[in-house]
Amino acid sequence: MSSVAHGDTVMNKERRDFIRKAGLGVLAGICATSGFLPAFSLEETILPAWDEKPVPGKIRWGMVIDTRKCLGECNECVARCHHVHNVPDFGNRKDEVKWIWKSGYGNVFPTSTSQFRSSEVLQRSYLALCNHCAEAPCTRACPTEATFKRWDGIVSMDYHRCIGCRFCMAACPYGSRSFNWRDPREGIKEASVDYPTREQGVVEKCNFCSDRLTKGMLPACVESCPEKALVFGDLNDPNSDVRALLESNSTMQRKPELGTKPSVFYII
Amino acid sequence: MRIKRNILFIAIPALLVFAVIGFLLQSGNAVETPGAPPPPVAVDSTKCIAQTEYMRSNHMKVLNEWRHSSVREGNRVYTAHNGSRFQKSLNTCLGCHSNKLFCFNCHMYANVKPKCWNCHLSPMETP
Repeated sequence: MSSVAHGDTVMNKERRDFIRKAGLGVLAGICATSGFLPAFSLEETILPAWDEKPVPGKIRWGMVIDTRKCLGECNECVARCHHVHNVPDFGNRKDEVKWIWKSGYGNVFPTSTSQFRSSEVLQRSYLALCNHCAEAPCTRACPTEATFKRWDGIVSMDYHRCIGCRFCMAACPYGSRSFNWRDPREGIKEASVDYPTREQGVVEKCNFCSDRLTKGMLPACVESCPEKALVFGDLNDPNSDVRALLESNSTMQRKPELGTKPSVFYII
Repeated sequence: MRIKRNILFIAIPALLVFAVIGFLLQSGNAVETPGAPPPPVAVDSTKCIAQTEYMRSNHMKVLNEWRHSSVREGNRVYTAHNGSRFQKSLNTCLGCHSNKLFCFNCHMYANVKPKCWNCHLSPMETP
Protein backbone atom coordinates (compact mmCIF):
# COMPACT_ATOMS: atom_id res chain seq x y z
CA MET A 1 0.00 0.00 0.00
CA SER A 2 2.69 2.37 1.06
CA SER A 3 4.82 1.42 -1.95
CA VAL A 4 1.89 2.13 -4.26
CA ALA A 5 1.36 5.46 -2.55
CA HIS A 6 5.06 6.15 -2.94
CA GLY A 7 4.87 5.23 -6.62
CA ASP A 8 1.92 7.54 -6.97
CA THR A 9 3.80 10.49 -5.52
CA VAL A 10 6.74 9.73 -7.83
CA MET A 11 4.37 9.61 -10.78
CA ASN A 12 2.70 12.81 -9.66
CA LYS A 13 6.00 14.58 -9.36
CA GLU A 14 7.18 13.35 -12.74
CA ARG A 15 3.88 14.32 -14.27
CA ARG A 16 3.98 17.72 -12.63
CA ASP A 17 7.51 18.26 -13.94
CA PHE A 18 6.49 17.14 -17.39
CA ILE A 19 3.50 19.46 -17.45
CA ARG A 20 5.59 22.32 -16.17
CA LYS A 21 8.25 21.78 -18.85
CA ALA A 22 5.65 21.31 -21.57
CA GLY A 23 4.01 24.54 -20.47
CA LEU A 24 7.34 26.34 -20.60
CA GLY A 25 7.97 24.92 -24.04
CA VAL A 26 4.60 26.12 -25.29
CA LEU A 27 5.23 29.56 -23.76
CA ALA A 28 8.62 29.74 -25.43
CA GLY A 29 7.03 28.70 -28.71
CA ILE A 30 4.42 31.43 -28.45
CA CYS A 31 7.08 34.01 -27.59
CA ALA A 32 9.21 32.91 -30.51
CA THR A 33 6.38 33.02 -33.02
CA SER A 34 4.66 36.16 -31.77
CA GLY A 35 7.48 38.51 -32.65
CA PHE A 36 9.14 36.65 -35.46
CA LEU A 37 7.76 35.58 -38.75
CA PRO A 38 7.70 32.37 -40.69
CA ALA A 39 10.17 31.69 -43.47
CA PHE A 40 9.38 33.93 -46.40
CA SER A 41 10.75 34.43 -49.85
CA LEU A 42 11.19 38.20 -49.53
CA GLU A 43 13.74 40.00 -47.39
CA GLU A 44 14.28 38.61 -43.92
CA THR A 45 12.40 40.49 -41.25
CA ILE A 46 14.63 40.43 -38.21
CA LEU A 47 13.84 42.82 -35.41
CA PRO A 48 16.56 45.45 -35.14
CA ALA A 49 18.79 45.53 -32.11
CA TRP A 50 17.30 48.72 -30.76
CA ASP A 51 13.84 49.07 -29.26
CA GLU A 52 12.74 52.64 -29.54
CA LYS A 53 13.66 55.85 -31.28
CA PRO A 54 17.41 56.38 -31.72
CA VAL A 55 18.99 59.50 -30.24
CA PRO A 56 19.60 62.06 -33.01
CA GLY A 57 23.22 63.05 -33.49
CA LYS A 58 24.66 60.26 -31.36
CA ILE A 59 25.99 58.35 -34.35
CA ARG A 60 27.48 59.82 -37.50
CA TRP A 61 28.23 57.13 -40.05
CA GLY A 62 31.25 57.79 -42.17
CA MET A 63 33.69 56.10 -44.51
CA VAL A 64 37.41 56.17 -45.13
CA ILE A 65 38.58 55.09 -48.59
CA ASP A 66 42.21 54.04 -48.77
CA THR A 67 42.92 54.90 -52.40
CA ARG A 68 46.40 53.33 -52.13
CA LYS A 69 44.70 49.94 -51.99
CA CYS A 70 42.01 50.75 -54.56
CA LEU A 71 43.98 50.21 -57.74
CA GLY A 72 43.53 48.63 -61.12
CA GLU A 73 40.36 47.87 -62.97
CA CYS A 74 38.49 46.30 -60.03
CA ASN A 75 34.81 47.30 -60.04
CA GLU A 76 33.60 44.84 -57.45
CA CYS A 77 32.05 47.42 -55.08
CA VAL A 78 30.22 49.20 -57.90
CA ALA A 79 28.81 45.95 -59.25
CA ARG A 80 27.76 44.69 -55.81
CA CYS A 81 26.15 47.96 -54.76
CA HIS A 82 24.25 48.33 -57.99
CA HIS A 83 23.06 44.74 -57.87
CA VAL A 84 21.97 44.85 -54.21
CA HIS A 85 20.02 48.06 -54.68
CA ASN A 86 18.53 47.31 -58.10
CA VAL A 87 20.28 50.23 -59.77
CA PRO A 88 19.42 50.09 -63.48
CA ASP A 89 21.97 50.06 -66.28
CA PHE A 90 20.71 51.30 -69.64
CA GLY A 91 24.12 51.31 -71.27
CA ASN A 92 24.14 55.00 -72.17
CA ARG A 93 25.30 58.13 -70.38
CA LYS A 94 22.08 60.08 -70.82
CA ASP A 95 19.95 57.67 -68.78
CA GLU A 96 22.77 56.67 -66.43
CA VAL A 97 21.86 56.00 -62.79
CA LYS A 98 24.72 55.57 -60.36
CA TRP A 99 25.18 55.22 -56.61
CA ILE A 100 28.93 54.62 -56.57
CA TRP A 101 31.36 54.98 -59.44
CA LYS A 102 35.00 55.43 -60.31
CA SER A 103 36.39 58.64 -61.72
CA GLY A 104 39.67 60.42 -62.36
CA TYR A 105 41.55 62.57 -59.84
CA GLY A 106 40.61 65.79 -61.60
CA ASN A 107 36.91 64.91 -61.51
CA VAL A 108 36.78 63.73 -57.92
CA PHE A 109 39.01 66.46 -56.47
CA PRO A 110 38.64 69.34 -58.95
CA THR A 111 39.39 72.01 -56.35
CA SER A 112 42.27 70.25 -54.62
CA THR A 113 44.89 72.78 -53.60
CA SER A 114 47.84 70.40 -53.57
CA GLN A 115 49.97 71.13 -56.62
CA PHE A 116 52.39 68.86 -58.42
CA ARG A 117 50.88 65.55 -57.32
CA SER A 118 52.84 62.53 -58.47
CA SER A 119 51.75 61.17 -61.83
CA GLU A 120 50.85 57.87 -60.14
CA VAL A 121 48.32 59.65 -57.92
CA LEU A 122 46.90 61.60 -60.85
CA GLN A 123 46.45 58.48 -62.95
CA ARG A 124 44.61 56.43 -60.34
CA SER A 125 40.84 56.27 -60.45
CA TYR A 126 38.95 57.23 -57.32
CA LEU A 127 35.68 55.99 -55.90
CA ALA A 128 32.92 58.56 -55.70
CA LEU A 129 29.65 58.21 -53.84
CA CYS A 130 27.26 60.34 -51.85
CA ASN A 131 29.30 62.07 -49.14
CA HIS A 132 26.44 62.13 -46.61
CA CYS A 133 27.45 65.67 -45.76
CA ALA A 134 26.90 66.98 -42.26
CA GLU A 135 25.68 70.20 -43.89
CA ALA A 136 23.98 68.67 -46.90
CA PRO A 137 22.92 71.26 -49.49
CA CYS A 138 20.53 68.83 -51.19
CA THR A 139 18.30 68.56 -48.11
CA ARG A 140 17.90 72.32 -48.10
CA ALA A 141 16.98 72.44 -51.76
CA CYS A 142 14.32 69.72 -51.59
CA PRO A 143 10.87 71.35 -51.52
CA THR A 144 9.04 68.26 -50.25
CA GLU A 145 11.55 67.07 -47.65
CA ALA A 146 11.88 63.89 -49.65
CA THR A 147 15.60 63.98 -48.96
CA PHE A 148 16.56 64.64 -45.39
CA LYS A 149 19.31 64.27 -42.81
CA ARG A 150 18.76 61.19 -40.67
CA TRP A 151 19.43 60.86 -36.96
CA ASP A 152 22.62 58.92 -37.74
CA GLY A 153 24.12 61.33 -40.27
CA ILE A 154 22.89 59.53 -43.37
CA VAL A 155 21.34 61.73 -46.03
CA SER A 156 18.32 59.64 -46.87
CA MET A 157 15.77 59.64 -49.68
CA ASP A 158 12.08 59.02 -49.18
CA TYR A 159 11.14 58.05 -52.72
CA HIS A 160 7.45 58.21 -51.84
CA ARG A 161 7.73 61.96 -51.46
CA CYS A 162 10.04 62.76 -54.37
CA ILE A 163 8.25 64.76 -57.05
CA GLY A 164 11.19 64.68 -59.48
CA CYS A 165 11.93 68.41 -59.48
CA ARG A 166 15.72 67.71 -59.42
CA PHE A 167 16.55 70.74 -57.25
CA CYS A 168 18.69 68.36 -55.15
CA MET A 169 20.68 67.38 -58.22
CA ALA A 170 21.41 71.03 -58.90
CA ALA A 171 22.33 71.57 -55.25
CA CYS A 172 24.66 68.57 -54.88
CA PRO A 173 28.24 69.67 -55.63
CA TYR A 174 29.38 66.07 -56.11
CA GLY A 175 27.00 64.82 -58.79
CA SER A 176 25.94 62.04 -56.46
CA ARG A 177 22.33 62.05 -57.56
CA SER A 178 20.74 60.49 -60.61
CA PHE A 179 17.34 60.99 -62.14
CA ASN A 180 15.22 58.14 -63.43
CA TRP A 181 14.38 59.31 -66.93
CA ARG A 182 13.06 55.86 -67.75
CA ASP A 183 11.33 53.10 -65.83
CA PRO A 184 14.30 51.60 -63.96
CA ARG A 185 12.84 48.10 -64.11
CA GLU A 186 13.67 47.97 -67.80
CA GLY A 187 17.35 48.37 -66.98
CA ILE A 188 17.70 45.75 -64.25
CA LYS A 189 19.11 42.48 -65.47
CA GLU A 190 19.17 40.48 -62.25
CA ALA A 191 16.71 41.88 -59.72
CA SER A 192 17.55 41.63 -56.05
CA VAL A 193 14.55 40.79 -53.88
CA ASP A 194 16.07 42.40 -50.78
CA TYR A 195 15.48 45.97 -51.87
CA PRO A 196 12.77 47.77 -53.86
CA THR A 197 13.38 49.46 -57.17
CA ARG A 198 12.58 53.10 -57.88
CA GLU A 199 10.09 54.37 -60.43
CA GLN A 200 10.29 56.71 -63.36
CA GLY A 201 10.50 60.38 -62.32
CA VAL A 202 12.31 60.14 -58.99
CA VAL A 203 15.87 61.01 -58.02
CA GLU A 204 18.01 58.36 -56.38
CA LYS A 205 21.41 58.06 -54.75
CA CYS A 206 23.54 56.05 -52.33
CA ASN A 207 21.79 55.42 -49.01
CA PHE A 208 24.97 54.34 -47.14
CA CYS A 209 23.25 50.94 -47.03
CA SER A 210 20.81 52.06 -44.34
CA ASP A 211 18.78 48.99 -45.36
CA ARG A 212 21.69 46.72 -44.44
CA LEU A 213 22.63 48.63 -41.28
CA THR A 214 19.24 47.82 -39.76
CA LYS A 215 20.13 44.14 -40.19
CA GLY A 216 23.54 44.64 -38.59
CA MET A 217 25.41 44.29 -41.89
CA LEU A 218 28.16 46.48 -43.32
CA PRO A 219 27.54 48.44 -46.54
CA ALA A 220 27.70 46.30 -49.67
CA CYS A 221 30.70 48.16 -51.11
CA VAL A 222 32.71 47.76 -47.90
CA GLU A 223 31.85 44.08 -47.68
CA SER A 224 32.67 43.35 -51.32
CA CYS A 225 36.07 45.10 -51.51
CA PRO A 226 38.74 42.43 -51.99
CA GLU A 227 41.50 44.81 -50.83
CA LYS A 228 39.59 46.05 -47.76
CA ALA A 229 40.18 49.58 -49.00
CA LEU A 230 36.85 50.82 -47.68
CA VAL A 231 36.30 51.21 -43.95
CA PHE A 232 32.93 52.13 -42.50
CA GLY A 233 32.17 53.29 -38.99
CA ASP A 234 30.91 55.88 -36.56
CA LEU A 235 32.78 59.17 -36.85
CA ASN A 236 31.44 60.27 -33.46
CA ASP A 237 32.99 57.27 -31.71
CA PRO A 238 36.68 58.04 -30.92
CA ASN A 239 37.43 54.30 -30.74
CA SER A 240 35.99 53.37 -34.14
CA ASP A 241 38.05 52.03 -37.06
CA VAL A 242 37.38 55.12 -39.16
CA ARG A 243 38.60 57.41 -36.42
CA ALA A 244 41.73 55.29 -36.00
CA LEU A 245 42.46 55.66 -39.72
CA LEU A 246 41.79 59.41 -39.59
CA GLU A 247 44.14 59.60 -36.61
CA SER A 248 47.01 57.81 -38.31
CA ASN A 249 46.70 59.11 -41.89
CA SER A 250 46.41 62.40 -43.61
CA THR A 251 43.10 62.45 -45.44
CA MET A 252 41.18 64.50 -47.97
CA GLN A 253 37.52 65.32 -48.42
CA ARG A 254 35.88 66.32 -51.68
CA LYS A 255 35.47 70.08 -52.12
CA PRO A 256 35.98 70.86 -48.42
CA GLU A 257 35.92 74.60 -49.12
CA LEU A 258 32.15 74.45 -49.69
CA GLY A 259 31.55 73.74 -46.01
CA THR A 260 29.37 70.73 -46.63
CA LYS A 261 31.45 68.65 -44.19
CA PRO A 262 31.49 65.35 -46.12
CA SER A 263 31.50 62.09 -44.14
CA VAL A 264 33.60 60.30 -46.76
CA PHE A 265 37.37 60.68 -46.39
CA TYR A 266 40.13 59.71 -48.81
CA ILE A 267 43.62 58.54 -47.96
CA ILE A 268 45.72 59.50 -50.99
CA MET B 1 -59.37 15.77 -43.65
CA ARG B 2 -58.84 16.59 -40.00
CA ILE B 3 -55.23 15.45 -40.21
CA LYS B 4 -54.56 17.61 -43.25
CA ARG B 5 -55.98 20.70 -41.54
CA ASN B 6 -53.71 20.04 -38.55
CA ILE B 7 -50.73 19.92 -40.87
CA LEU B 8 -51.73 23.24 -42.40
CA PHE B 9 -52.05 24.76 -38.91
CA ILE B 10 -48.45 23.77 -38.20
CA ALA B 11 -47.02 24.30 -41.67
CA ILE B 12 -48.23 27.85 -42.31
CA PRO B 13 -46.73 29.42 -39.15
CA ALA B 14 -43.57 27.39 -39.68
CA LEU B 15 -43.22 28.73 -43.23
CA LEU B 16 -43.88 32.26 -41.96
CA VAL B 17 -41.17 31.87 -39.32
CA PHE B 18 -38.73 30.58 -41.93
CA ALA B 19 -39.55 33.46 -44.25
CA VAL B 20 -39.02 36.01 -41.47
CA ILE B 21 -35.69 34.40 -40.44
CA GLY B 22 -34.62 34.24 -44.07
CA PHE B 23 -35.48 37.88 -44.59
CA LEU B 24 -33.62 38.93 -41.47
CA LEU B 25 -30.55 36.96 -42.49
CA GLN B 26 -30.60 38.45 -45.94
CA SER B 27 -30.96 42.01 -44.69
CA GLY B 28 -28.02 41.35 -42.36
CA ASN B 29 -25.90 40.18 -45.26
CA ALA B 30 -26.97 42.97 -47.57
CA VAL B 31 -23.60 44.74 -47.09
CA GLU B 32 -21.80 41.93 -48.88
CA THR B 33 -22.66 42.50 -52.49
CA PRO B 34 -22.50 39.51 -54.78
CA GLY B 35 -19.17 39.33 -56.54
CA ALA B 36 -17.20 40.79 -53.62
CA PRO B 37 -14.05 38.83 -52.79
CA PRO B 38 -14.32 36.72 -49.65
CA PRO B 39 -13.01 38.58 -46.61
CA PRO B 40 -9.44 37.51 -45.93
CA VAL B 41 -9.06 35.14 -43.02
CA ALA B 42 -6.23 35.79 -40.58
CA VAL B 43 -3.94 32.81 -40.17
CA ASP B 44 -3.24 33.18 -36.47
CA SER B 45 -4.74 35.97 -34.40
CA THR B 46 -1.75 36.07 -32.02
CA LYS B 47 0.31 37.38 -34.95
CA CYS B 48 -2.11 40.17 -35.86
CA ILE B 49 -0.90 43.73 -35.52
CA ALA B 50 -4.49 44.96 -34.99
CA GLN B 51 -8.13 43.88 -35.22
CA THR B 52 -9.22 42.69 -38.65
CA GLU B 53 -12.06 45.23 -38.85
CA TYR B 54 -9.65 48.05 -38.04
CA MET B 55 -7.10 46.86 -40.56
CA ARG B 56 -9.70 46.43 -43.27
CA SER B 57 -10.50 50.14 -43.24
CA ASN B 58 -7.23 51.60 -41.96
CA HIS B 59 -4.36 49.52 -43.38
CA MET B 60 -3.27 52.39 -45.61
CA LYS B 61 -3.00 54.70 -42.61
CA VAL B 62 -1.02 52.08 -40.71
CA LEU B 63 1.38 51.69 -43.65
CA ASN B 64 1.77 55.46 -43.93
CA GLU B 65 2.44 55.80 -40.21
CA TRP B 66 4.92 52.89 -40.27
CA ARG B 67 6.79 54.41 -43.18
CA HIS B 68 7.01 57.80 -41.54
CA SER B 69 8.19 56.61 -38.15
CA SER B 70 10.63 53.99 -39.45
CA VAL B 71 12.16 55.97 -42.33
CA ARG B 72 12.25 59.39 -40.68
CA GLU B 73 12.55 58.69 -36.97
CA GLY B 74 14.26 55.30 -37.02
CA ASN B 75 11.56 53.76 -34.89
CA ARG B 76 11.40 50.39 -36.63
CA VAL B 77 9.62 48.27 -34.05
CA TYR B 78 5.86 48.21 -33.70
CA THR B 79 4.34 46.82 -30.51
CA ALA B 80 0.88 45.36 -31.04
CA HIS B 81 -2.04 45.52 -28.62
CA ASN B 82 -1.14 42.09 -27.22
CA GLY B 83 2.51 42.97 -26.70
CA SER B 84 4.00 41.12 -29.68
CA ARG B 85 6.59 43.07 -31.62
CA PHE B 86 6.93 43.49 -35.37
CA GLN B 87 9.36 45.11 -37.72
CA LYS B 88 7.68 48.00 -39.50
CA SER B 89 8.04 46.65 -42.99
CA LEU B 90 5.77 45.85 -45.89
CA ASN B 91 7.34 42.41 -45.77
CA THR B 92 6.01 41.91 -42.25
CA CYS B 93 2.50 42.22 -43.70
CA LEU B 94 3.22 40.07 -46.75
CA GLY B 95 5.04 37.44 -44.72
CA CYS B 96 1.87 36.64 -42.80
CA HIS B 97 -0.68 37.36 -45.53
CA SER B 98 1.18 35.06 -47.85
CA ASN B 99 -1.75 34.51 -50.21
CA LYS B 100 -0.41 36.13 -53.36
CA LEU B 101 -3.79 37.66 -54.21
CA PHE B 102 -4.34 39.08 -50.72
CA CYS B 103 -3.92 42.71 -51.80
CA PHE B 104 -5.16 42.37 -55.36
CA ASN B 105 -8.56 40.78 -54.68
CA CYS B 106 -9.94 43.72 -52.76
CA HIS B 107 -8.13 46.45 -54.68
CA MET B 108 -9.42 45.11 -57.99
CA TYR B 109 -12.95 44.84 -56.65
CA ALA B 110 -12.84 48.38 -55.17
CA ASN B 111 -11.04 49.71 -58.27
CA VAL B 112 -8.27 51.12 -56.11
CA LYS B 113 -4.87 51.46 -57.75
CA PRO B 114 -2.21 52.01 -55.10
CA LYS B 115 1.28 52.64 -56.44
CA CYS B 116 3.09 50.32 -54.01
CA TRP B 117 4.26 47.90 -56.69
CA ASN B 118 5.82 50.56 -58.90
CA CYS B 119 8.84 50.18 -56.63
CA HIS B 120 8.22 47.40 -54.12
CA LEU B 121 8.21 43.87 -55.46
CA SER B 122 4.63 42.70 -55.55
CA PRO B 123 3.77 39.25 -54.18
CA MET B 124 3.02 38.20 -57.77
CA GLU B 125 6.64 38.91 -58.77
CA THR B 126 8.29 36.96 -55.97
CA PRO B 127 9.13 33.27 -56.23
